[in-house]
Amino acid sequence: MEQSWETVVGLEVHVQLNTATKQFCGDANIFGEDPNLHTSSISLAHPGTLPNINQTSIQSAIKLALAIGAEINYENRFDRKHYFYADLPKGYQITQDNLPICVGGSLELDSGKKIRFHHVHMEEDAGKSIHHLDDKASFIDLNRAGVPLLELVTEPDFRSGDEVLEFISKLQQIVRYLNISDGNMEQGSLRCDCNVSVMPVGSDTYGERCEIKNMNSKKFAKQAVEYESKRQIRAIANGEKITMQTLHFDPSNGTTTPTRDKETAHDYRYLPDPDLPPILITEDLVSELKTKMPLMPEALKAQLMVEHKLSSEQAYIIASSLDSSTYFFEILKSHKKPKPLANFFINTLIPYAKANEIEISAINVAPNNWSEYLSLIETEKVNRKDASDKLFPEMLSKPSVKPLQLAEGLDIIQSNNPNINDQIISEVLAAFPEEVKKYKGGKKALVGFFIGEAMKKAQGKANPKTLKSDLIKALSS
Amino acid sequence: MQSPQSIKSIQAGLLDGSLKMETRVDNHLASIKKSEDLNIYIEVFEEEIRKAAEELQEKINTHPDKLGKLFGVVFSIKDVLCYKDHKVTAASKILDGFESQFTATAIQRILDEDGLIIGRTNCDEFAMGSSNENSVYGACKNGHGDNRVPGGSSGGAAVSVQMHTCDVALGTDTGGSVRQPAAFCGVVGMKPTYGRISRYGLIAYASSFDQLGLLGHHTEDIATVLEVVSGKDSFDATSSNTPVDKYADLQAIENKKFAYFNEVVNHPKLNENIKSSTFDLFGKLKEKGHTVDDVEFEYLDYLVPTYYVLTTAEASSNLSRYDGVRYGHRSKEIKSFNDFYHKTRTEGFGLEVKRRIMLGTFVLSSGYYDAYYSKAQKVRNKISKAITKMLEEYDYIIMPTTTDIAWEIGAFDKDPVSVYLSDVFTVLANLCGLPAVSVPLGKDANGHSYGIQLISSKYNEAKLLNAAFSFQNIT
Repeated sequence: MEQSWETVVGLEVHVQLNTATKQFCGDANIFGEDPNLHTSSISLAHPGTLPNINQTSIQSAIKLALAIGAEINYENRFDRKHYFYADLPKGYQITQDNLPICVGGSLELDSGKKIRFHHVHMEEDAGKSIHHLDDKASFIDLNRAGVPLLELVTEPDFRSGDEVLEFISKLQQIVRYLNISDGNMEQGSLRCDCNVSVMPVGSDTYGERCEIKNMNSKKFAKQAVEYESKRQIRAIANGEKITMQTLHFDPSNGTTTPTRDKETAHDYRYLPDPDLPPILITEDLVSELKTKMPLMPEALKAQLMVEHKLSSEQAYIIASSLDSSTYFFEILKSHKKPKPLANFFINTLIPYAKANEIEISAINVAPNNWSEYLSLIETEKVNRKDASDKLFPEMLSKPSVKPLQLAEGLDIIQSNNPNINDQIISEVLAAFPEEVKKYKGGKKALVGFFIGEAMKKAQGKANPKTLKSDLIKALSS
Repeated sequence: MQSPQSIKSIQAGLLDGSLKMETRVDNHLASIKKSEDLNIYIEVFEEEIRKAAEELQEKINTHPDKLGKLFGVVFSIKDVLCYKDHKVTAASKILDGFESQFTATAIQRILDEDGLIIGRTNCDEFAMGSSNENSVYGACKNGHGDNRVPGGSSGGAAVSVQMHTCDVALGTDTGGSVRQPAAFCGVVGMKPTYGRISRYGLIAYASSFDQLGLLGHHTEDIATVLEVVSGKDSFDATSSNTPVDKYADLQAIENKKFAYFNEVVNHPKLNENIKSSTFDLFGKLKEKGHTVDDVEFEYLDYLVPTYYVLTTAEASSNLSRYDGVRYGHRSKEIKSFNDFYHKTRTEGFGLEVKRRIMLGTFVLSSGYYDAYYSKAQKVRNKISKAITKMLEEYDYIIMPTTTDIAWEIGAFDKDPVSVYLSDVFTVLANLCGLPAVSVPLGKDANGHSYGIQLISSKYNEAKLLNAAFSFQNIT
C-alpha cells in the first residue's frame, strides 16, 4: 500500500513597521531612496554611539499582540545576536531572544482553523548587500539598517500551501488595519521564511524540516511549500534522508535549491543588550491602546452582513482595508442605504482608487457630497451612466462644489416634469402619423422607434423611464 | 612648580584680571612640552585652544555676566571620548584616522559652560589595561620619573593632571581605570554611579560597567565639574533621571560609619606602606569621632573573576563593529570575505584586546554560556545585594585603592593575570554600579604615591565627595 503524506509548515514572518524613524535612532524609515541616504553615526555603528528605543514601535507591537490575542510580557528585553556581515554595522543585531514582547495568540482561517503563534518579538532590520553589480566588489546600502521589524513565529500548524497563502493575506489585512505596516511583500515590508516538513498521515511526529528563506510573494510562498513538500516525499520514497537545510525558491522554474551560504552551525552568542534597560510596559498603555483598536476585518465583515445586510462578497470587499471601511461608514452616516453605497464603492470608488494608486481616504470629497451624488442617481435626477462618466470626475476635480450644482452645470439633470414628456410625445406623434397608424394597427415593435425619436428630442433631459411609460400610454389612448 | 589652583581661584583670578586666559593656556602648553617624554598626549589641540582662550578672554572682558560655570577650566580628554571633527582612536590601530562626527554628551556640557579642551590623552587600547602599556602609541609614563607606569587605563589622564598640563582630566572607569591611575599619580580620581553621566560618545569597552570619571588636584574641582556633566541624556537609555545634587557645596563630614574588610587590609599582596597608612587613617578617623568597623565580606575572591568574565563578554560584543567596512583600519591583504574580518581585526587590534575578545567570545559561546556568563551574572547580583545591604548600615566602604605602588614599565609583560588580579580593590564599585573615589593617601620613601578609596551608595556622590573633601585635610 502506498504511504500518504501530510505537509507540515511553520512560518517566520518579518513585518517592517511604518514608524517615521528607525528602531534605535532618528534616521528616517523610508523605502526606495538613494543608497545610504538615511544613515547616521548611530546606524553606521560609529564608536561611542548608543541605541535608543523608538517608543512607537513598542506600541505597534502591542497593537498586534492585542489583535492576535497574544499574552503581553509586561517586562521584556532586547538581546544582541552576533554574526559578522558587511550589511550588519554593529556586528550584532538587536533582537529579542528570551523575553519577547508577547507570546501565544492565533489567527483564524476561513475554514475556522486556528493558526497559533509561538511568539512575536521586536528587532531591527539589517542593511542590504548588493553583489550582482560588479564581479570584484559588493555594495552596501544601509538605509534599511535599523528599520524596526516584528518577527512573528507560528507553530507548525499549516497543512497546505493554500493555508499559507490565506494566512499571509489575512496577516496583511491585520497589519494594514492596525496601520503598523503597509504589509507590502514586493517591497519587502512583509517577508516570510517557510519551514517545511512532511510526515505520514495520522502521525504525530514531525519530519526533519527545511527552511525556505525570504519569500517576497504569498503566491510564491504557496508554490514553494507545495514544491518542497513534493520534493521531500519523493526523496523519502527514493530512500533518501531529509536533512535540515536552508533553501532558496526560484520563481522562474518553481523549484527550491539549497542556498550557496556555507551552512555552518551558527553560534549567535546571544547577550542581553547592556545598552538598553528592560522595557517596562504599563497596564495603562495597554488599556489605552485597547480603546484605540479598530474593529478587525473579520468582525467588521460580520457587522456589515448582519447589521447592514450586505452580501458576503460585498462585505468582504468593503472590509478588506481599513481605508475603504472607514470611508464607507463615514458616508453611511448621511446616506443610510448600505447596499447602493456598497455598489458605488465596488463599482466606482475602489476601482478609481486602484487605477490611480491612491488611498480612498486621499479622495478629497466630503462624505455628504457622495451621499448627495447617490441621491441624485436614486431619485433618477441623473442617470447612472452620466453620473459615473461625467459627474464623478467633475466632483473629483471640483470637490468643493455641490454635486447638484455640478450636474446642472453639466446639463445632465433629467426632468420628471410630466409637461415636458407630454410636449415631446405630442411632437413625436405629430411628426410620424403613418407610424402611429401602424402601431395602433398592431405593429407594437414600433415602440422602440418612438422612444428613440423621443429621446433624441429630449436630449437627455427627460427621464427615460417615465418618458417610455408616458409614450406607451399616449399610443394606447 | 607652584601648587595647583582650584577652579574657584582660577575663575576669581580671571574675573579680577590677575589671571589671563592666554597665560593660563601658555603655561599648560609649556607643561605639555616639558613632559613630552612621558607620552601623555596623543594629540594636542594647540592652535584650537589658543583661539578658544582668546575668545573666552574677550567674553570675560565684555560679558562677565554671561560666563558658563566652567569658564577658564582646561580639560584633557581620554582618547575614548568622541569630540566632533576630532580624531578618536581608543589608542588602537583599528581606528586609525577615524574622526568623530559628534561630540560626547559630557564634553558638550563642558563646552556649553565655557570649558576648554587641550588635547586627547593616551590610554590602554579600548581602555583595556591597568598600566597604559597597551597603547598603539606606546606606554605613557608616570610623572614620578623612575620609568614606572601611571596606572591605567586612564594613564594619560592621570599624568596630564599630575604634570599640570590641564586642570581636570576626563577619563573612563570600567574596573578602576580612573581611581587606580589617580592613586599611582597622587591625584584625586572619581567614578560616579553607573548612569550618573551619559555614556553617549564614550567608546564602549563593557557597557554595563563603563562610566565617565574625573581626575583633578582638588575634590572641589571634581564636584564642580560633576555637577555640570551629570544628568539624564536622551541619547543614553541607561542614564539616570535621578536629580543632580549640588555637589560643589562641600561639607566636612561628622559622625560617619566606615566599613572595611579584614581580607583587604590583610591581603597577602598589600604593600606595607599602604597598609600602615591605611591603619593610621583609620585611627585618625576614629579620633575625629567616626566609626570604623571591620565588616565581613565573603566575596572578595570572586570579584576579579566575575569582573573579567562579564567585561570580556561585553567587550567581545562591543568590539564586533570594528570590521573595516565603514571606517578605520582595513587590511590590504584581503582575498576573501573571511579575510576581511580576520585580517583586518588581527592587524588592527593589539594583544590585550585580542585576548579579551577571545575570552569574551568563549564565555558567550553555546555550551559555555551558563557555566561562565550566566553564573558570573548571578554572582554579580549576589555581590551587589550584599554591598547594598552593607551600605544601608554604613555610610562608606573604605579600602586602599591598590594593593601596591606603580610598577616598572614592562614588569608584567609576561604575566597578564597578575595585572588582572591587581584590580581586586577597584572592580567592586563597577560590579555594583556604585560611586567611588580615590584620594591621595601617602607616598613611600621613594616618593611613589598611593591612594585610599571610598565607596558610597548609589547617587550619593554628594556624600562621597564630602568625605573625600574632608580626607584632604586628614591625610
